[in-house]
Amino acid sequence: MNRNQKIVFQIVLVLILFGLGAIFVNNLIINLIRTGIGFKFNWLIKPASFSLAEPPLPYSPSDSYAWALLMGWINSLKVIFSSLLLATFIGTLIGFLRVGKNSIFSMISAAYITVIRQTPLLIQLMCWYFVGFLSIKNNLFFNIRNIFNISNKGIEILGLHLSSEFSALLFGLSVFSSAFIAEVIRGGIKSVPIGQWEAYRSLGISEKQGFVKIIIPQALPAFVPGLTSQYLNLAKNSTLAIAVGYSDIYAINDTIINQTGRAVECFIILLFSFLILNLLITKIMGIINKSIMRSRI
Amino acid sequence: MNHMNLMLIINLFNKLKKYLLSKSKKKFFNFVALVILISLSLKFFNWIFFNLNWRVVTSNLNLYAFGSFPSNEQWRPTLWFASLFSITLATIYGPKWNWLRKNLFFGWIGTVPLGIYLLKGGFGLAPVMSRNWGGLTLTIFITSSSIFFSLPIGIILALCRRSSLFLIQKLSSFYIDVMRAVPLIAVLFFGQLLIPLFLPFGVEIDRVWRAILAFTLFVSAYIAEDIRGGLQSIPKNQIEAANSLGLNTFQINLFILIPQSLRIALPALTNQLIGLFQNTSLMSILGLMELLGVSRSILANPEFIGQYIEVYIWLASVYWILCTIMAFVSKKLEQTMTTNKGY
Repeated sequence: MNRNQKIVFQIVLVLILFGLGAIFVNNLIINLIRTGIGFKFNWLIKPASFSLAEPPLPYSPSDSYAWALLMGWINSLKVIFSSLLLATFIGTLIGFLRVGKNSIFSMISAAYITVIRQTPLLIQLMCWYFVGFLSIKNNLFFNIRNIFNISNKGIEILGLHLSSEFSALLFGLSVFSSAFIAEVIRGGIKSVPIGQWEAYRSLGISEKQGFVKIIIPQALPAFVPGLTSQYLNLAKNSTLAIAVGYSDIYAINDTIINQTGRAVECFIILLFSFLILNLLITKIMGIINKSIMRSRI
Repeated sequence: MNHMNLMLIINLFNKLKKYLLSKSKKKFFNFVALVILISLSLKFFNWIFFNLNWRVVTSNLNLYAFGSFPSNEQWRPTLWFASLFSITLATIYGPKWNWLRKNLFFGWIGTVPLGIYLLKGGFGLAPVMSRNWGGLTLTIFITSSSIFFSLPIGIILALCRRSSLFLIQKLSSFYIDVMRAVPLIAVLFFGQLLIPLFLPFGVEIDRVWRAILAFTLFVSAYIAEDIRGGLQSIPKNQIEAANSLGLNTFQINLFILIPQSLRIALPALTNQLIGLFQNTSLMSILGLMELLGVSRSILANPEFIGQYIEVYIWLASVYWILCTIMAFVSKKLEQTMTTNKGY
């Protein structure tokens, strides 16, 4: 193809795509008019008139839809960042055990990884919620002098109360993501050349110190891309909160759609929420990556 | 001098003692850990097999497998399962005849139209409405048809993303990036609630096909990225060699780039397939009667109320076994596809 042909070809293709898009949008407008819903955003300031189980900020049903959406946003961020930390912790532990020398622990972590990775997250979440928390009898499962107790109303640590929905989601997401993070960690450690291990051993550095000071710093850059994609997956998976009844951004959008029937607007809001969230996580991981790269010589 | 020697021997002896002790200590701990592990797992299996009431599974096996498929037509999904099973066996253990190896790929592709024909009916079979499809049949049907449609779309998107044409490259990048940023449940929701709004009045797509469409839109973006990774790892001199042989761009893509990138991307594609298979369970939230949806309706039955543990263990093991089989088949395929063993 010469240059002119290329330009014509692209223009034709774009015109076809625009034509298809125009047909779809036309259908949409016709359908919206036919059903009498229309397309506007002024409902956002009307009172939401549904209650939330655990609003992070003061909220009452007379507050606006926009405020309810903000509550959903904060709830989402809360569960995403807390399970991100917990998942990284568990995943790193399992990953280290997997590459470690102790064959029993290595076997256990391999079994953990395959069982968690090969079963759907939704079933795991429901298991945590219905089997893990809601089926606790006598209202109390575990109690240490009121400092830490687990009951069918959730977890309480030093006066900080986590509802059973939040806890089930937290553990479900963390455990699921930790299996993937463990694989990332294992891959990162395996990417350090074997010569590095031999070198610190021949220098007489102890196993522990060599691992912490020689191997880990070199494996860090290999962790970052894998971890970033796992964190993004975790953020996207957090929308399964609706299965356990935790009011995150998706669940609140769903409630609003059921109440007002404004599916198109809510879908656009949801789309932008997640684009922003993705951008946020990618930016933060980019900064971390830069600082890791800078700390190397 | 003698004194020095003695010191050296004592020192050596001490070191040896320390070494042996630490070794045996480690072994001892390993032994204790193993004993605890075995006793715990024995207890667990004992509890699973004797304490739980498995009637919720055994009396509903038909529902788990076929949903509400008419009982006198259930040989059709069974036949489909059998064909899938036999082609899996042929892939793993089949004889290494060349013609079989070459046509296996088309056999896999052919399972999807066969499934559509057997489930839907028509052409001599009694038609069955898609709302009667359910259970494992529906799960596997959604998985296989979505991958069937999204693989070619993913390949096209990947090629477009590497294209030298500015607008095409930007458009496909935009599509892939947006799709990868959005959670799956939002796309499925789009499929169930919004696709009907985008269709002209009177035209309808039924729920199963809308789900397949949504899965296809979603998975093709991920597949495109995996294939792009495969395309990037093909050395440039392959293209130069093809050019010097006089192949045009279309031929290069079809005969040189796509087969190689598919082979390289096979592990990643398998992960996508396994992910897709697991994610079909999300359709239960949106009201389809696939494996998890059927289980939820069984759990809502007063006879089996509260038997969550049995049902979830059963479901998890079904998903686990099928995912493991998929991973195993892909490993086998990877081995057989590595054609250039000798140079």
